[in-house]
Amino acid sequence: MPRPMSFKANSVIYFSGDVSDKIYILKSGRISLNSTDIETGQEIHDYIQTGEFFGVKSALGKYPREENAVVLSDSAVILFTVPEFEALASQNTRIIMKMLKVFSTQLRRMHVKVSGLLAQDKQVDPETGLFNSGQYYLSKKRYEQALYAFRRYLTYYPSGRMNAKASEFAQKAEQFAQEYGAGKGPNISGVGSTAEEIDKPDRGRQLSDSAKEFYAAVSVFSQQKYTDALKTFKMIAENGTDEEYRIKSLFEIGRCYYSLKQFDACIKHFTGLIQRYPKIPELPDALYYVGQSYQEKGDTARAGGFYNKIVSMSGAGEALLRKVRRAIKALEG
Amino acid sequence: MEMNLQAFERFAVSYQPDEIIFCEYEPGDAFYLIQQGRVQISKILGDIEKTIDVLQPGEIFGEMAILEEAPRSATAITVDAVKCLEFNRANFEILMRGNPAIALKLLKLFTKRIYDQRRRFMVLTLDDVQARVADVFLMLNEGQPEPQDETDERVFRTTAEDVAHWAGLSPEDTRNVLNHFVSQRRLEVMKDRIVLKNINEFIRFVSSRRKSR
Repeated sequence: MPRPMSFKANSVIYFSGDVSDKIYILKSGRISLNSTDIETGQEIHDYIQTGEFFGVKSALGKYPREENAVVLSDSAVILFTVPEFEALASQNTRIIMKMLKVFSTQLRRMHVKVSGLLAQDKQVDPETGLFNSGQYYLSKKRYEQALYAFRRYLTYYPSGRMNAKASEFAQKAEQFAQEYGAGKGPNISGVGSTAEEIDKPDRGRQLSDSAKEFYAAVSVFSQQKYTDALKTFKMIAENGTDEEYRIKSLFEIGRCYYSLKQFDACIKHFTGLIQRYPKIPELPDALYYVGQSYQEKGDTARAGGFYNKIVSMSGAGEALLRKVRRAIKALEG
Repeated sequence: MEMNLQAFERFAVSYQPDEIIFCEYEPGDAFYLIQQGRVQISKILGDIEKTIDVLQPGEIFGEMAILEEAPRSATAITVDAVKCLEFNRANFEILMRGNPAIALKLLKLFTKRIYDQRRRFMVLTLDDVQARVADVFLMLNEGQPEPQDETDERVFRTTAEDVAHWAGLSPEDTRNVLNHFVSQRRLEVMKDRIVLKNINEFIRFVSSRRKSR
């Protein structure tokens, strides 16, 4: 049973270094927790509010007390053992919630202090850190993991500094995962460059506005927000000043239609695109999406025709060919 | 207190082996309770991936995300096929009410994390590099059970790189300090372990350096 206790002014409830399973609530009076700042050696006084718990952390964790609990004026407290405290907190989970908040703040503060003193983890900003994680996995040929990190990068930093590289690496990771599998495949050039190195060429050769918008939309697409992505791609395709990204956007528009399951629009769009730009590098992929759309519509004859066309032409990547062969097989089976 | 988790089935998520659950530096908004399989917690430092911990069923990770959406401080990757319960701030309240045992477990986990960070911070505040390396051993010693016989010798399954990591020193500086201790016959550095001849000597040495500041 929790029991009430009284302490006279100038007494000490517990000392720094004590190990104990007692937890207290201050009912009335004045108590100060006195500790020493680890860094400066200065004495710190924390005054306990009426109704506040103290001694929780050390009791729960079975660690030595970190402070002296000094009674400033005659005080009344209620004493709990750890099991008693647990029983109370289980009945009233707001207590736990409140303490979790306090603890989490303390922990965060401690983290900041520790990393401040660590010269070696030189305070990488999260954006660079996430990108570097992707690069690390890519350099180790752990494609799935690299893909995860780059996709996250593109999701969180749609107009990030390393956006273009992240898109490129994400595509490579996806492609290599299919073509070679984890742990295999050639090295990818440019992996392992630091953020600064990637940043530099961009400063000299600023990405055009179209390019920036394009990559932002690619990132939106990767979040499966196809309608939003479609809007941006259409805008670039219509008003963009950078020819390269205008055409790239035209291709992406088709992919958006496909992902939105607007198969007729997809077929119409790609057919028009192929007629206007028969030499785009994405041609085999465009044909594949047309084939897939026909297949979705139940027109397997036409779908098969497009698949066979891809197989017969040069320029299709290994990954795509494998998908196409699988699709043909499925049609036959 | 028993953990009744059946009610939480709808929060269950499954992962393949070697799959990332979350990546260091990405914003975190969920934490996890492992039900099946193991999860490796690691950090990438330059060109090496450092395993911090391998967690087992029943353990919680990602707990920093409960109250604030700060970047993850490490990466969680599955070792086996893993099943976890995933909680976020939205369903956290439900969890708390329905299962205070998990909430208490979480609270205890925080006390451990705070203690460990604080201890680590104490190491790093030492200006003297020798004292810093010595204090790393004291810290590691506090985390392992005391030997049965009353010997002053302590064995650490650790490497110079690990010590460097904890001490916040370069591997070269750390090796120099270790070599210095070896030449004084206070330490033996082996391939897979480091043997400290007299722990009390180190305790005295570190506390003298701490007070002199």
